[in-house]
Amino acid sequence: MTLQPDDNPCRPRHFKPAACAPAPLEGPAKQSLETSHTRLIITAALFCLAFLVISARLVEVAGFKAGETRFAHVHAVDKPEAARADIVDRNGVLLATTLEAPSLYANPKLIHHPERVAEQLANLLPDLSEGEIAAKLGTDKSFVWIKRQLTPSQEFEVNRLGVPGLQFQVEDRRVFPKGNLAAHVVGYDDLDGKGLAGIERGFDDILKSSSEPVKLSLDVRLQYILRDEIAHTVSDFNAADGLGIIMDVNTGEVLAMVSLPDFDPNAPGSATPEDIFNRVTLGTYEMGSTFKIFNTALALDTHTATMASSFDATNPIHIGRFTIHDDHAQRRWLTVPEIFEYSSNIGSAKMALAVGTDRQREFLGRLGLLKAPSFELPEIGAPLVPSPWGEVNTMTIAFGHGISVSPLQMATAVSAIVNGGVLHRATLLKRPAGYAPSGQQVISLRTSQEIRRLMRLVVEHGTGKLAEGSGYLIGGKTGTAEKVAAGHYERKALFSSFIGVFPITEPRFLVMISIDDPKGDKWSHGFATGGWTAAPAVKRVVERMAPLMGIQPVDENSPEIRRSLMVDSPDLQERKLAAN
Amino acid sequence: MIRFSTVLWALLVGVSGYAMFQVKYEVVQLEDELAHVNHQITDGREQIRVLDAEWSFLNQPSRLAQLSKRFLNLAPIGPEQIGHLSQLPRRSPLPPAAAAAAAPPSVSSQPMAAPRLVIAGGTVPR
Repeated sequence: MTLQPDDNPCRPRHFKPAACAPAPLEGPAKQSLETSHTRLIITAALFCLAFLVISARLVEVAGFKAGETRFAHVHAVDKPEAARADIVDRNGVLLATTLEAPSLYANPKLIHHPERVAEQLANLLPDLSEGEIAAKLGTDKSFVWIKRQLTPSQEFEVNRLGVPGLQFQVEDRRVFPKGNLAAHVVGYDDLDGKGLAGIERGFDDILKSSSEPVKLSLDVRLQYILRDEIAHTVSDFNAADGLGIIMDVNTGEVLAMVSLPDFDPNAPGSATPEDIFNRVTLGTYEMGSTFKIFNTALALDTHTATMASSFDATNPIHIGRFTIHDDHAQRRWLTVPEIFEYSSNIGSAKMALAVGTDRQREFLGRLGLLKAPSFELPEIGAPLVPSPWGEVNTMTIAFGHGISVSPLQMATAVSAIVNGGVLHRATLLKRPAGYAPSGQQVISLRTSQEIRRLMRLVVEHGTGKLAEGSGYLIGGKTGTAEKVAAGHYERKALFSSFIGVFPITEPRFLVMISIDDPKGDKWSHGFATGGWTAAPAVKRVVERMAPLMGIQPVDENSPEIRRSLMVDSPDLQERKLAAN
Repeated sequence: MIRFSTVLWALLVGVSGYAMFQVKYEVVQLEDELAHVNHQITDGREQIRVLDAEWSFLNQPSRLAQLSKRFLNLAPIGPEQIGHLSQLPRRSPLPPAAAAAAAPPSVSSQPMAAPRLVIAGGTVPR
């Protein structure tokens, strides 16, 4: 045995150095080695790719999206989700809001001494009787409402009883901080927050879904002034009820709307249907002589009559079973301004006959007086229109009998007559500042200016004298309608109105007040007509509201004002000639 | 070399793990704080609503009218109390003292339309 160079005798026998080069593998062994090699590379490549993607995303998020920070919205404060939106007036004064109120419920199964608990609760909640509570607690249900919407002090007291089985559920409660003041406009809700009347009902969906307050055109200050004066007039003349409206004649916005008697929307349960009835929008009335505004405008606008025309008002008109006579009878020929000033029924009827039935009906339709208006409140009354519309109707409608319209329609139409002849839809929503509403031209500007002068004449010399002297240039028209009772007109039961517009040189506001069934008193010499009841009330409203609206008083007797309001009617000499 | 990099990586893993948990606890704490603040905001909003309602309730015009009648010696402004700047007498070019010395009787004897004059267009506090 030869000693090979590698053979180290000191080396353990079992240790053999590895071969310098691996022996080339052959056959299946080589095959499997190559397979695992490939697999390793593919896996490594996949991992590399994955890490690359992650790094790229990391760089993208950290480097390029640094600007737009996004947060989880788990804890973000959202708008109070279920709360109904507020209602505010045009100056942002709160009219209706939603507050949280605890409601008390009981689990009768947990209450061991129902009688004792009922006694304790009846002491704390005076509007519930002991028997009532005991009956509720005696049932074998596991949930009964005891009382909805408690006050904080009641909640505290009930908690102090420490009775297991009595629990609270926080509910939303609708609160009307101004109480009666705008009750008919705002309306009221049921306990579950569903609108039952007024804006609360008309805007139910919007109030439910939006968190932005609904901004009304109403002005709480004017609302108070109007309500105050109507309430005084109603009590002074011992009347049944009263209503009123203030409107911006150039936009159709309703600034105040009062219907008396009214109710507290916080406790609608104690209101009678009489209280809840909205006389301004739902009630329709025969308006009486205020309709002569339309009759005169119609005659002037169709050129059937001019300011210088005159009509024979010497004798009452007998037609069928009716007699048309004048309250302030002059018994002579009257010019158009005189007919308006003295509110002559005979003259108006003759003017209407000259125009004709068809044109009268078409005109009143154009003013929106023949169908229910579109308005934000659900309480809308449809007018009562004669059918068939004969000659008799034409004559009575000339002075506002035989057709019933709502005061809202009346105010809207008169606004159109005085504002230059443009009819704007009445609205309860605030128009943005500088908003120029589109409207329909219903009469010419010239006719509108003539009617303004006539309305001024009524206040200066005619039936509306008690509205004169405010310094704010009120123009207006009185109206006294006899109410229908038991199928015929009752001379004693009146519906007395005054529609005032100021400043009449450039009308901005319309104030309308109607008093239902006023009784004349000593001060009014027994009269209860529009001129004696509503006209002074309108004057007081104007005097109180004008400073708030930034309207400056003027000297009503200054030559410039007189000239601008002069009525170009024939002088007295000519009147006498015409009477011959 | 291998030993060193292993130690380095282990250290990095440890540090990043610690940092991660640290951040996590901070986030949990911040979330608690956030929830607390949000709760306060909700409470605050509800309180504001209540106070708004109370403010509106206490500002009922009829109540203000009563209070004004009881405590203030004021009446509504009449039309005769409202004037225009052009109605005011022209100002003297002299300083007031000199003007008074120069023409003492004219200023005081000038009758005014009304004791209190409100200038139209001026701001009247509501």
